[in-house]
Amino acid sequence: MHNSKYALRTHQLTKSFRSFKKKPGIKGTLQSFVKRDYTTKNAVDGFDVTIKHGEFIGLLGPNGAGKTTLMKMLTGIIVPSSGDIEVLGYTPSERHKIFRKKIALVMGQKSQLWWDIPAMDSFKLLQKYYEVTDQNFKNRVEELSELLAVKDLLHIHVRKLSLGERMKLELMACLLHEPEIIFLDEPTIGLDLVAQKRIREFLASYHKKNNCSVILTSHYMADVEALCERIVLIIDGKNSFDGSIHEFQNVLGRKKFVQFRFSEKVDNKASIWKDLDPEWNPAGNMVNLRIDESQLREKSQEILQSFPVSDFQTDKMPIERVMNTLLTRPDLVAKSAAQKAQQQAQQKNKDKA
Amino acid sequence: MGELNKWLETIKIAWVNLTAYKINYIIMVLGPSLTFFFVKYNLWTAIYKTNSLDMIQGYTLSQMLSYQVWTLVVGLIAQSYNSMNIAVDIRYGKISTYLIYPFDFWQYHTASFIAFFMNQIVISFLTLLALAFIGIITLPSLAIFSQALPLCFLVALLWFVVMYFIGLISFWLDETWTLRVVFIMISQFFSGAFLPLEIFPQWLMDGIKYLPFKYMTYVPVKVFMGTYTGSLSLAYIVVSLWAIAFALGSALLWRKGVKLYTAAGI
Repeated sequence: MHNSKYALRTHQLTKSFRSFKKKPGIKGTLQSFVKRDYTTKNAVDGFDVTIKHGEFIGLLGPNGAGKTTLMKMLTGIIVPSSGDIEVLGYTPSERHKIFRKKIALVMGQKSQLWWDIPAMDSFKLLQKYYEVTDQNFKNRVEELSELLAVKDLLHIHVRKLSLGERMKLELMACLLHEPEIIFLDEPTIGLDLVAQKRIREFLASYHKKNNCSVILTSHYMADVEALCERIVLIIDGKNSFDGSIHEFQNVLGRKKFVQFRFSEKVDNKASIWKDLDPEWNPAGNMVNLRIDESQLREKSQEILQSFPVSDFQTDKMPIERVMNTLLTRPDLVAKSAAQKAQQQAQQKNKDKA
Repeated sequence: MGELNKWLETIKIAWVNLTAYKINYIIMVLGPSLTFFFVKYNLWTAIYKTNSLDMIQGYTLSQMLSYQVWTLVVGLIAQSYNSMNIAVDIRYGKISTYLIYPFDFWQYHTASFIAFFMNQIVISFLTLLALAFIGIITLPSLAIFSQALPLCFLVALLWFVVMYFIGLISFWLDETWTLRVVFIMISQFFSGAFLPLEIFPQWLMDGIKYLPFKYMTYVPVKVFMGTYTGSLSLAYIVVSLWAIAFALGSALLWRKGVKLYTAAGI
């Protein structure tokens, strides 16, 4: 079925956008007619990634890091400034019709369904576009509408549906033609927790059953934890981390995440907090700390003795917190990458010796 | 077969979409045409009456009014596509979906145009019947219809490709509505939508012989009125060639422009 070794591969992929700065007001407008200061920004900057068939990848990164630009290049909507992409053996920007039949893109922020007609009419149009046989189409609609519990919604005008209902139908629309690779750009954005969970469960079971490749972007770590085997982190357009979700959790070192509650406000200037990355609540009676595994007993005891602790709990670094830390301090990723490289180099030297 | 089905289904959807908001649609299409018509109707009546003229350049008042009525009808059949704004699709990132579907953006718009044209045929026939019923127009013979309708279709097609061409310029410019308005104004003037072209001097008429404008209103109107004496095949040829030229131009613009597309807003 697959004529290419990888589902997807990019090499030194770069997209730069040029824009000019306009100063406010009439004066600025007039000035911009005469002289424009252009700035060029690399939205995606020398990005390398390789994805195997059947993988479920979480593409993470802060707003403006280049996630959507990357998705647009991978699906052939926009043309890269430089570098190479290969998706299912095709170059996306050539937009070969066979390539277009094999991919799907769902954008949580944008509807692909026709607003003024029932979803079923849009589906029928898509059936023709993707040349799905009547029998296949019927089975597919039956199966997917069952899984997503949307049977009653198929004949209602799309504009009358809730966001959650619409999202399910959007997903359904993009899966009718059994794509080999699916790009999901924030499919759960704006949904309530129950709806998010349902979409997540659906995606997990769909992926398991159909063995397609999926690239997911999301700001909800629950999505990523539930679905993705592997995480790719994009910061300033660069691939800043690429590894399993387990490695991601340890990217900041093997530290435990400990939360203490106190019966009253405590001194948050005390020296003990200094190296523990404290995060205080506004009332000053609760703190989240990161403590190295080797120091856990000692430090915890010290805190228990010195402060009026009412409750405490310990946990591994949850992915949400790793993400938050990384987003506020991207230098840590670089550091961890450097460490990793160093370790690998040392390992190599050892092997040689 | 597969390709044909894609077209048919798209035409169907476009038709359903067009008629989803009937009131809105009627206001958009019929409103400007009717307003324009009534302004001209009253204007010409006033010109003839206040100056006590029997004839202007060979047109009596009733002939002039009849000319304006046919301008309205031809406008409805052939020119309403000028209100379609393809630039919006590019500016707000709507073309992205058609970059992903295995059915192209131009195919989608051409199919929408066909649906639109069919819809316009229905509307203009209803208008025509209404006008005949109140007696300000006499229905022409079938022979005349068979000459005028294909020409109207070609003119509609030309309007569509010109609007598509201008729309594609928005890959480079943020806003193209000024270009549309300029084109519409120029073409209305030279097409005879304001004044019958007999009123212009002969050298001007000769000068615009191979431009498309004259064939966009004046010629179809005269054919409908049964008073066209020029060459019909020249009309077909000129309009077709211009449509082909703009279609080729559009293909070129698309090839270059789509590389600049940034899919803003998604």
